[in-house]
Amino acid sequence: MRQSVLAILALIVTATGAWAHSKAEETTPANETIVTSVEAIEMRFDDPMRVTAITLTGPIGDVSIERETGMDAVTEFRALPAAELPDGAYTVDWRGLSADGHPMQGTFVFTIAD
Amino acid sequence: MEGLAPIDGWAIASIGAKAAGYGAALLAMGGPLFVLAFPSASADVRQLARKVAAIAALIGISVLALRFGIRAARISGMGLPGAVDPMMLGFVWDSPLGVAAIWRVAGGVLVVAVLIRGVVGLGAGLIGALLIAVSYTSVGHSLGDPRWLLALLLTVHLLAAAFWIGALAPLRHAAGQPAGAVLLHRFGNVASVMVALLVIVGLIFAWLMTGSLSALISTAYGWALLAKLGVVAGLMTLAAVNKWQLVPALASGEPTAAPRLRRSIQIEAVAVLLILIVTATLTSITTPPVNL
Repeated sequence: MRQSVLAILALIVTATGAWAHSKAEETTPANETIVTSVEAIEMRFDDPMRVTAITLTGPIGDVSIERETGMDAVTEFRALPAAELPDGAYTVDWRGLSADGHPMQGTFVFTIAD
Repeated sequence: MEGLAPIDGWAIASIGAKAAGYGAALLAMGGPLFVLAFPSASADVRQLARKVAAIAALIGISVLALRFGIRAARISGMGLPGAVDPMMLGFVWDSPLGVAAIWRVAGGVLVVAVLIRGVVGLGAGLIGALLIAVSYTSVGHSLGDPRWLLALLLTVHLLAAAFWIGALAPLRHAAGQPAGAVLLHRFGNVASVMVALLVIVGLIFAWLMTGSLSALISTAYGWALLAKLGVVAGLMTLAAVNKWQLVPALASGEPTAAPRLRRSIQIEAVAVLLILIVTATLTSITTPPVNL
């Protein structure tokens, strides 16, 4: 009896959600940083994320970016700006579907300056 | 506060639709359970239980379609046009919600068959109820580890909740009937066991999701959970008053007991509605502390 109680307690204590909500752990450029140039927009997730929509807004409105990552669920997402980005403040807005089926969204900002 | 997702109009629509889906699913599952548990209830009370379950099952299927649209709109970032975008709908279909939808629709169709009187109808309805409950284990937070335990806890939790919620309308109807007191007394006895089960598995699930007491007040999930427990405590109090005061009063032939009991059951229904909204909020826009 005592053993099974301990086993259940151990199970409870070690229970961690391995899946659940994957979140954007790291981005390139990192959130709220100032960079001199941007080669690519990257996001890394701790669990596979299907990024369903992504927009980049710059000083003069929406900037076109090309997805290098397709529509599959990934832990590393990458998109490239179609042209060189001029100096200014940028916002990346993304939507996605996490592995457990929850709709996810996120935003990060960065500034390009010399 | 940690673990709160951005809230926009679509997130609110999604919470509303999810709560409606929970209500429909619980009523659909509860009807066959009522018919199974109370074979001696009067024919019209049993028929009401069957009808409520069948209508709820059909509503549940339409709500599911609506939820697909809302989810597609949310992940598309395009607003309303995203709700009918074939590619976005395809992604939702490929997600765990798609798997859940297959089980839930199959369960709903079987629950409608509970309208057929007799063993065949009841058997179909019970299998349907089980399929609907199991469909919820293929989405969301119950996909965490230990998966089999979370799935089992959730299935038991849903069936126990369904037993209670599905009984409200038939019991309210029975309160006005001569033989009503006997049924209400029997329900009280079965419900005390079911509710204890409901609360115990709910608390174990909550503990697996939060992992610490401090997470209750430091996370959005914890606060939503506390709000849910608050309404549940109110509902239990009401149920206890019914069981120990109003039902005995009804049995002893007190004339005011029936209307008071009916009103009390109506208030219980409102409390249930609140619980469903809080639960939908909990499972939609907050992240369990163990996943933070």
